[in-house]
Amino acid sequence: MDLMHHFELHPLIHLNFFGIDMSITKAVVMMWIVGALLLVSFIMAARSANLVPIGFQKIIEPILIFIRDEIVVGVMGKENIVWYPFITTIFFFVLLCNLIGLIPGSFTATSNICVTGALALIVFFCTHITGIYKHGLFKYVKGALVPGGVPPALLVVMVPIEIISHLLKPISLAVRLFANMVAGHSIILVFIFLIVFFKSFIVAPIPLSVAVVMSAFEIGVSFIQAYIFAILSAIYISDAIHVGH
Amino acid sequence: MEAIGFGYLGAAIGIGLAALGCGIGMGILVGKSVEGMARQPEEANNIRTTMFIGIAFVEALALYALVVSFILIFK
Repeated sequence: MDLMHHFELHPLIHLNFFGIDMSITKAVVMMWIVGALLLVSFIMAARSANLVPIGFQKIIEPILIFIRDEIVVGVMGKENIVWYPFITTIFFFVLLCNLIGLIPGSFTATSNICVTGALALIVFFCTHITGIYKHGLFKYVKGALVPGGVPPALLVVMVPIEIISHLLKPISLAVRLFANMVAGHSIILVFIFLIVFFKSFIVAPIPLSVAVVMSAFEIGVSFIQAYIFAILSAIYISDAIHVGH
Repeated sequence: MEAIGFGYLGAAIGIGLAALGCGIGMGILVGKSVEGMARQPEEANNIRTTMFIGIAFVEALALYALVVSFILIFK
């Protein structure tokens, strides 16, 4: 019973740029589909920019207002509204990548550690480059690594801990999303495998109903994980901007 | 007793203990947040938002153990 081969990626078209393996795999195709879906739906929603929302705008506008009021203004403050498109992109990309994996026959792009690792790496570079740009290299490193109000004797212990915690933040961001997606889809796979395993029509509705329930739970988990990814990136970026207290 | 058997045993014990700790942590977390929401119903939305963030952190720890047990099973 080996269900991990559902999560493996095999190249469909082999491409090789200067020794870096950039073959087109299932995950790449899924991410293209998600990107095209997002582009089409947002262009459709923005075309009729009425004050009172009608049509497709009705679905997307409350989510956008929620992201603006809770995540960007609530965490980063009104002057950092520049980050709003970035956080919105992260939220919708992660959400749609998670949700599209629930369609039978498709692949969840975020259930691969490379995809989530790349997203976490983007957030990592955003935080540190923003901090260095705003505060200067030395002041930013001093502010980030030395918590305020600590007696100097304790610094020998605190600074390595702070370094480790700063390095661990993007890793935990990536692993949280990856493990949630892999675990959720593995549970669905296990129950569908149970249907095949028993080979009888009478017993089949029991694993089927559990698989349906777990799929519904996966929809909730997708929303929550997308929200957590977005709000944690907002918190990390605001930590880099307001460093030193 | 081969090494493969110990790998499976370690994976099972690991994820069991992680689920135990995660369950206790989430129980305390959600209980305290419900208590807070009952004391001050107008802050319920803020408390609910913070509760979700806390749940994600606790669940991430349990999922680290899940990743390690996957590595143990499929190696």
